[in-house]
Amino acid sequence: MKIMVCPLNGPRPVSEFAYGGEVRPSPDPDTCSDTQWSDYVFNRSGSPGEKYEWWCHIASGFWFVVLRDTLRDVVLGTFPAEAARQGLPPAAGASAAPPDVPHGPGVPDGAS
Amino acid sequence: MVGVETTRGAIATSRVLCAVAGFTPRVLDMVNLRTPIYVHPLQAMVSEPVKPWLDPIIVSGSLHVYVSQTARGELVMGASLDPYELHTTRPTLDFVEGLASHMLDMFPFLSEVKVNRQWAGLADMTPDFAPIMGVTPVEGFYLDAGWGTWGFKATPVCGKTMSHTVATGRNHPLIEGFTFDRFSRYQLTGEKGAASVGH
Repeated sequence: MKIMVCPLNGPRPVSEFAYGGEVRPSPDPDTCSDTQWSDYVFNRSGSPGEKYEWWCHIASGFWFVVLRDTLRDVVLGTFPAEAARQGLPPAAGASAAPPDVPHGPGVPDGAS
Repeated sequence: MVGVETTRGAIATSRVLCAVAGFTPRVLDMVNLRTPIYVHPLQAMVSEPVKPWLDPIIVSGSLHVYVSQTARGELVMGASLDPYELHTTRPTLDFVEGLASHMLDMFPFLSEVKVNRQWAGLADMTPDFAPIMGVTPVEGFYLDAGWGTWGFKATPVCGKTMSHTVATGRNHPLIEGFTFDRFSRYQLTGEKGAASVGH
């Protein structure tokens, strides 16, 4: 069984968590073009690499950020959501999204 | 488009068709194209042979299970996608435990039957569960991807429509709903219900 270290609950089985997609900066919907908005809504950094991702501990409803290598399935670090707002160190992976988040961290893909 | 560099040398060509399933995002990075494609593993497993008892294929949308019995007596079983992005085909114990549990919900008499083998493949998924086919913004670069959980039965018409597209440089009429630019036009082709197992 894989173990994930939740910033709030400590080490827990990964089956207790839900994946929420990569942390991606949202463009300002009032000023961006339709093309920029559709790129944000649909396009993803699909190549493997070290990526910041949203995860949720289901039982406690706690959302947090995980740095994970999606090629090896290795968790490199977990951070409370506040860390995403304050700026995360750059990931070494294929992510095209810069780690700083100008308009809030956005909504996790699986949260709606 | 002038050619392709391979591990066995360079190939000069003015037209390239990319049809590499779970490796699509890596190839698209080479030509600087962004798409909605994301990759999750999809697993399946096979039981030891038992006497014939199951003639049709059975699918449970609520339990996320499909199962059929082969001519050799083995049960071939599968479920929905693995729950998060991953680019490795190593199978997991979580999958076997989850799928076996759902199998026993339907068929408790299988409790003594053993699992013989399991495997995983990389599924390239799109937001509307429809493939991306045809011309791309890169001239001479054609895409046939995002087939994720689809089966092999679409392959013949894919070959026919994609060969027409590559030969003429224009999308075949049958694949107009699967174009590369449908996301920027917000005109998706909803095909989630076409998969036999819910996702």
